[in-house]
Amino acid sequence: MQRTPGEASADLELPARAYLVVQREISRLLSPFSLMLIWIALRFIGGYRIDNLAEVRRAAREIRARGSAPLLVCANHLTMVDSFLITWALGNPLWFIVHFSALPWNVPERLNFAANSWQKAAVYVLKCVPIHRGGRRRDVAGVLSRVAHLLRKHESVLIFPEGGRSRSGRVEVENAATGVGRVIRSVPDCRVLCVYLRGAHQSAFSAVPERGDRFYAAVSEIEPKTDAAGLRGSRELVRQVVRRLSEMETEYFDGRE
Amino acid sequence: MGTEVFEKVVKILTPYVKNQAALDNVSASTHILDDLKVNSARLVDVVLEFEDAFDIEIADDDVDSVETVGNAIELIESKLE
Repeated sequence: MQRTPGEASADLELPARAYLVVQREISRLLSPFSLMLIWIALRFIGGYRIDNLAEVRRAAREIRARGSAPLLVCANHLTMVDSFLITWALGNPLWFIVHFSALPWNVPERLNFAANSWQKAAVYVLKCVPIHRGGRRRDVAGVLSRVAHLLRKHESVLIFPEGGRSRSGRVEVENAATGVGRVIRSVPDCRVLCVYLRGAHQSAFSAVPERGDRFYAAVSEIEPKTDAAGLRGSRELVRQVVRRLSEMETEYFDGRE
Repeated sequence: MGTEVFEKVVKILTPYVKNQAALDNVSASTHILDDLKVNSARLVDVVLEFEDAFDIEIADDDVDSVETVGNAIELIESKLE
């Protein structure tokens, strides 16, 4: 099987590319402060712990070192701070400051994270490209083009392929967002780093995890492939990713029994 | 052709529609997401059903232009030409 080229493979216009370059550099300059603030918030305000932190960081490092192809991070989604927790799980903040391309861009919901000027400024300096899920398809396609462009530039991007927090509390294969498959199709040799993260007290979706919760994280690399073209191909690719996340979830719950 | 395509498009959309009142008054200008309240994630399933029903292939980019029932009909008819 092979991946057919996606229609969204055309690169961005110069102004959009320049905007992302400037945003990246401002984010990089502020990263010593922003990353430390997030780490302090997670560690001391949230009181969160990732039980297998060293193990998962080592596994993520090995996957990164395995190849130079673009790496899209795809994770399950249960709370609104998942992207911060996942970034924490994948590497030390100091390491990310030095290896800034490895610090994932995020694609947060505009209504939740970019509703006012303060939030817009925060997501700007945190390497975010806000999206309005379920919004006008041309706008969504524009965001996906930016994501694909960033990956082609070997920037890491974190995206939730279920398209939102799981309402059932479990990975939902049927809700796989085809746009993620479209991104994968438009980035040659794109690898996917699947991340499964769950707090011990996280039984369903919520705004934030329970204070003091302890997390389990796991990573796994896949390179989705399909012979199908168009939308069908995009759906098949994203479903491969979400199926892997679902398998990781099963492994998590099996391990708890 | 127009009426036949319209009827087939509405029939395909029907199981995904959450606003029955909008479906009862459906026209070419009816917005699929805003008026019919079709879940955006399900729009892909709708378009794949268009592919099967009309034996056409629709590219990712083509879907970006589909906002109303009329847009869907225009897209399908352009592929049938």
